[in-house]
Amino acid sequence: MRNISFIFKKVWKSTFVLAALSFLILTGAQAQTDLVEGKTLFKSKCASCHALDYDGTGPALTAGVNKHDDAFLIPWIKNNAALIASGNKEAIETSKLKTSEMTAFPTLTDAQILNIVAYAKAGEPKADPAVGGGAAVVDEGASGLSIAGVIAIIILSIIVLVVLGRAVKMLERLILEKQGIAVVEEESVSLVAGVRGLFKNKKFVFFTVLCLVMVLGSFGWMGMWETGVHTGYQPAQPIKFSHELHAGINQIDCQYCHTSAFKSKNSTIPSLNVCMNCHKNVQARTEDGAVSPEIQKIYNALGYDPEAQTYDKTKEKPVEWVRVHNLPDFAYFNHSQHVVVGEEAIRKEKGLKPTDQVCFACHGPVNTMEEVYQYSPLTMKWCIDCHRNADISSKKDDAFYTNIIKAHEKIKKGEKITPALLGGLECGKCHY
Amino acid sequence: MESNKKYWKGLEEYKNTPDFVENNKNEFAEPIPIEDVLSEAGLSTVTPRRDFLKALGFGLGAVTLAACQKAPVHKSIPYLIRPEEVVPGIPNYYVSTFKGQSVLVKTVVGRPIKIEVNPNAGVFSTGTDAQAQASVLDLYDVSKLKNPLLKKDEVTSWADIDTFVKGELNKVQASGKKIRIVSSSLNSPSAKAVVTDFTAKYPTTKHVQYDAVSYTGIIKANENSFGKAVLPKYNFDKADLIVSFGADFLGTWISGEEFTAQYVSNRNYKSLENKKMSRHFQFESGMSLTGTNADTRVPIKLSEEGPALITLYNAVTGANLSGGTLGNNTTADKVVKLVAKELLQNKGKSVVVSGSNDVSTQILVNAINAAIGSYGTTIDLDNACKRYEGNDAEFAELINEMTRGEVGAVFFLDSNPAYDSVNAKAFTDALGKVSLKVSFADRVDETSDLCDVVAITPNYLESWGDANTYEGFYSIVQPTINPVFNSRQAEQSFLIWSDATVQDYYQYVRNNWEKNVLPSVGKSWNDVLQAGVISTTAKTAGAYTFSMSLDAVASSIATSSKALAKGNGKDVLELHVYESVAIRDGKYANNAFLQELPDPVSKVTWDNYIALAPKQAEASGYKEFDIVTIKNAQGVSIDLPVLIQPGQAMGTASVALGYGRTKVGKAGDNVGKNAFPFVTFSNGTLKYATTATLAATGGREELAQTQTHYSFEGRNIIREATLKDYLKDPAAGSGNHHKHKVYDLWTTDKHEMVGNNWVMAIDLNACTGCGSCIVACNVENNIPVVGKDEVRKRREMHWLRIDRYYSYNQEPSAKADDHGGHGSSNGAVTKEKEIAHLEADQMNNVSVVHQPMMCQHCDHAPCETVCPVLATVHSSDGLNHMAYNRCVGTRYCANNCPYKVRRFNWFNYWNDSRFDNYLNNEFTQLVLNPDVTTRSRGVMEKCSMCIQRIQTGKLAAKLEKRPLKDGDIKMACQQACSANAIIFGDKNDPNSEVSKALKSERIYYVLEEINVEPGIGYMTKIRNIDSETKEVHV
Repeated sequence: MRNISFIFKKVWKSTFVLAALSFLILTGAQAQTDLVEGKTLFKSKCASCHALDYDGTGPALTAGVNKHDDAFLIPWIKNNAALIASGNKEAIETSKLKTSEMTAFPTLTDAQILNIVAYAKAGEPKADPAVGGGAAVVDEGASGLSIAGVIAIIILSIIVLVVLGRAVKMLERLILEKQGIAVVEEESVSLVAGVRGLFKNKKFVFFTVLCLVMVLGSFGWMGMWETGVHTGYQPAQPIKFSHELHAGINQIDCQYCHTSAFKSKNSTIPSLNVCMNCHKNVQARTEDGAVSPEIQKIYNALGYDPEAQTYDKTKEKPVEWVRVHNLPDFAYFNHSQHVVVGEEAIRKEKGLKPTDQVCFACHGPVNTMEEVYQYSPLTMKWCIDCHRNADISSKKDDAFYTNIIKAHEKIKKGEKITPALLGGLECGKCHY
Repeated sequence: MESNKKYWKGLEEYKNTPDFVENNKNEFAEPIPIEDVLSEAGLSTVTPRRDFLKALGFGLGAVTLAACQKAPVHKSIPYLIRPEEVVPGIPNYYVSTFKGQSVLVKTVVGRPIKIEVNPNAGVFSTGTDAQAQASVLDLYDVSKLKNPLLKKDEVTSWADIDTFVKGELNKVQASGKKIRIVSSSLNSPSAKAVVTDFTAKYPTTKHVQYDAVSYTGIIKANENSFGKAVLPKYNFDKADLIVSFGADFLGTWISGEEFTAQYVSNRNYKSLENKKMSRHFQFESGMSLTGTNADTRVPIKLSEEGPALITLYNAVTGANLSGGTLGNNTTADKVVKLVAKELLQNKGKSVVVSGSNDVSTQILVNAINAAIGSYGTTIDLDNACKRYEGNDAEFAELINEMTRGEVGAVFFLDSNPAYDSVNAKAFTDALGKVSLKVSFADRVDETSDLCDVVAITPNYLESWGDANTYEGFYSIVQPTINPVFNSRQAEQSFLIWSDATVQDYYQYVRNNWEKNVLPSVGKSWNDVLQAGVISTTAKTAGAYTFSMSLDAVASSIATSSKALAKGNGKDVLELHVYESVAIRDGKYANNAFLQELPDPVSKVTWDNYIALAPKQAEASGYKEFDIVTIKNAQGVSIDLPVLIQPGQAMGTASVALGYGRTKVGKAGDNVGKNAFPFVTFSNGTLKYATTATLAATGGREELAQTQTHYSFEGRNIIREATLKDYLKDPAAGSGNHHKHKVYDLWTTDKHEMVGNNWVMAIDLNACTGCGSCIVACNVENNIPVVGKDEVRKRREMHWLRIDRYYSYNQEPSAKADDHGGHGSSNGAVTKEKEIAHLEADQMNNVSVVHQPMMCQHCDHAPCETVCPVLATVHSSDGLNHMAYNRCVGTRYCANNCPYKVRRFNWFNYWNDSRFDNYLNNEFTQLVLNPDVTTRSRGVMEKCSMCIQRIQTGKLAAKLEKRPLKDGDIKMACQQACSANAIIFGDKNDPNSEVSKALKSERIYYVLEEINVEPGIGYMTKIRNIDSETKEVHV
């Protein structure tokens, strides 16, 4: 089923991407080159505090730049503190808009600043609601609806075939009757007799039973191997957080949010203050100006009011995420051992691309997962396979391993150095 | 010719009772009911084939259905806003102070789970005591109150209480009545300042300090002798000769763990390598922890202690005080004179201490110490110890004041007189006459129950505070968790009730430090929060001379000695009540870890008992576990079972204090009997010696002992030598000169430990048997508490135990040689036949060896070869791994383990209502270490050599890309050990401490003759006895 929904998702995605691309090309052709640069610069320098059409940490930018002329804006953006210090009245007034000080950008050239201003004035081109909305709806229902659709089509076609068959038979009979040939209605009797005959046929019975045993047996065998293995487990989360959007499209490093993977046994689910680093500003407001409902859930959990920009501690309510990767309590796993110490070997063993994050080795292509699912089986066999095969010879230069590997090499000359060789298969290394 | 010692573990073994002989044949203490199964119900029952098939079919179906259950959905709830310093999976450490000991508290996502050693803490940097280790459990005690209690109201808030108390205080002030704050010794400077502020607001206030186990005698004696009313700082590390009269200074006396570190520094393997070892004489009636460690221990009656000291004084100074006759105890007389001679030879390098709380006795001790030049060297009066400042007379006076109706308000802070005062009834009656009674306790204990207000206080792990343990040695108490319940620190309550300007106690402590402590050392508040301690430069210890007439003192001692010596040797005995090593004066009675910590000597858990010498029991007509009634002169009586204790002085009996609490909580209620009524008050101090009458009740109660669980069948597992022999030959007594012929089944397939090889060395000369390591191991490894009944069934789960062996010196004789088997040089092998030959009076003087015993991580482990499912296997770094989830519970491994260190989970202790009183509840389980699995029913477990610590230490080095250093990884037991008796490390690193220690000539391996290649080496016990003292021993 997963495969089918995958294919459907991929199909939808590619159509969506195609549509988006063609849209971009179309608008891009019309836009000035400075607008494109302005947008890029805006995203990288300004977007962490400013949105175009609403107040965040900084004031709404479109309205802001419309208020001032370029002669003010250029020195202001380059070094607002200096401008305020020089006693510029306009600057002093502007500085009072928000409590926090604006960062200085002395490296921006005048032309770049003008590009940003131009982009801010022009504003984000409004997407066609029909295209965006429609795509979203279909995308959401892709897996369920499409499967149901396919089944419906199959059932329909079967019914059509059956009905057609009947009609053909009926017609044939009519023709025969018309031709005056009597139809012998003994078909059903002979069918029953035929089935009885089949049951008396020992060879047939033996063959059928054998087939049944084989089929059921192999299903049972496969089923037992899969017992307690939850590959593909994809629970619905309280907030529809898209890893595809964050890790894929926006290219945010896994450890920006999962901050302790490099130092602790837990990678940790980020606390909401990490979300707020961006989402204080990125509110993905809808047409009618409301904050995106999913982002609103973050605000609700924190008791945050985006309009007043205040926190209400009494309204705090933690988010109850559903754990996707459930390692049993008796197995000890440490992220830092694998993310930092074993990174090189894991990348090599799992054949990751240099651009891939090391996390993908076990968690799969998270950057393409709309909703995260369990990619690896997390069985002991799966752990051990890697511990048996990963090549850690390159650790020779690591001061911790130097002597240990040297000692092992003396005994096992020329063999590949694997975690197993250093005791990575011993029970007590993970079970205590 | 080396001495021929006879060792035995318990009296059953010594007496060779039929029961013991019978049990000894079996592996398990309890017979396995195979016979029952095979007899009637087993073989004769017919199971029809159809029934069998039905059961089989149902079983299969049920199991299949049960297996079809969907995997449960696990929620994962992150912090809303994660505190910067908290990283899930990485513990944080904070310094704090437990009862004057500076400690490090390990917290995991905000929960304190382990007490560790604060390396900055000077005198406390070597280890912690068992109480500190167990104290984390008190934080998660379900018997505590959740809200403060105002008796007249049903629902109470702090505001109600404040209004009520302030109103009452104003009334008391208006009436001019007295206000009393009763506390045990308060060694916190800030708390004292709060009390001073409170006194300023309410001038009729007085602070009365009293300790259930008091040191007033020493304080008063020092005031009397030298004009300094202080408890001195003892430096046992500077003493080459230590003479103790009934002071259990390695156990409960003043500061056991600190003294242990000092004491052992002159006796451990490093000191022995420098050919140096102190000498320790102990004169005492009951067998104390300190007594078991003495080189020469002489049992004396309580009434002989005074005369012995007078004799010693006369012998040292040549004076002629009267009262110094030791009667017919010729042995004691002889040894005292010998000690006097040695004291004079070791002037300035020796110390005499007495556990008595009698002022006269302590003045005499001062006189002796002054004569041998202890002041300024081994005793320091100028950097006084502030742990105990109680004044017994003031408390007695308080009861009088209350009885006369002069007291209008009384506050109880960290004290429980309704339980532990001499005459609880008099106290209770007097308390009834006080109008405002406030208790600062965390539960409704015996005293709180009589009070109007229970202003619940947080645990020390939730509190701010400080401690001043020694003059110039300050440490900080900082909270490691927010108060779990609606509690408030007593100091804060006092600040609020006295309308102080600073009402926040944190701010108060900080102000106090910044004003009074920090400027003199030039440190900041943050420095203190990080290091935990501040020591100002210690003053030079002055030498003091003693110049008083001792006639009055001697006559006072003689009088009290005569008053005590009323025993008739049969049913009237001299009774010694002493502080229990595990639960001390009863304050820790609800701590299940401590209740289950076996007494270091008797190995009894969950109970107190009356200890009698074997011959005494015979003379009085009692058998072990007979319940006897003990009655004092006032007619108060308690019933306790008899424990036969080798080494107990004839004519004496000993009973531990701290038991018999009635309102302490689920674990500790009605465990044992309260012996405080046997404490007496005379001459201004509390006395812990009295006479008592014994009477049989006819009842019998088996004590829950861990004593004779596992017989070693007379194998040569304890090895010792005298210092003299050691100096001649360091390998003396270790059996290393005569190696056994061993056979090896694994000649071709050797374990290659090329990376690390984790091993331990245990110095039997350093181990005092205190049991701190056991509790540390319990807390670190989530070891369940099983309770009294289960211990009786020998099902305690301790991974680490301390075996205590009694031995008795027998001159080598032809007969002994006949029996000295196994080809070892010292022939210290006990044959059951020989033990039976010993006479009861020979056992009155015994020596003791403590041997910590845990999984030996044998390289040829017998347990590994018999496991049918490979649940226990060997690792490449020398450890014996135990995979719990692989274990099916055949227990073959336990049967095949020669050291009997494997423990079987008979119950699911973490989820079974039978164990609700100990650790099985949601709140208490917050103490669990998340890095260690809690084991389920039906699996084996044993010492893992703290593998979680090894793995963590290795990973830390890997992340930093550096080689592992010796000392990076410390075992929980090793860390808690004040004596540093346990040395852990990598044998493959030739420079590690353990490699060096294992090269010592004293090293031997227990049961090395069976060639299991244990990973834990033991160093022979060395006794500093010579021919003269050796004679005493026989």
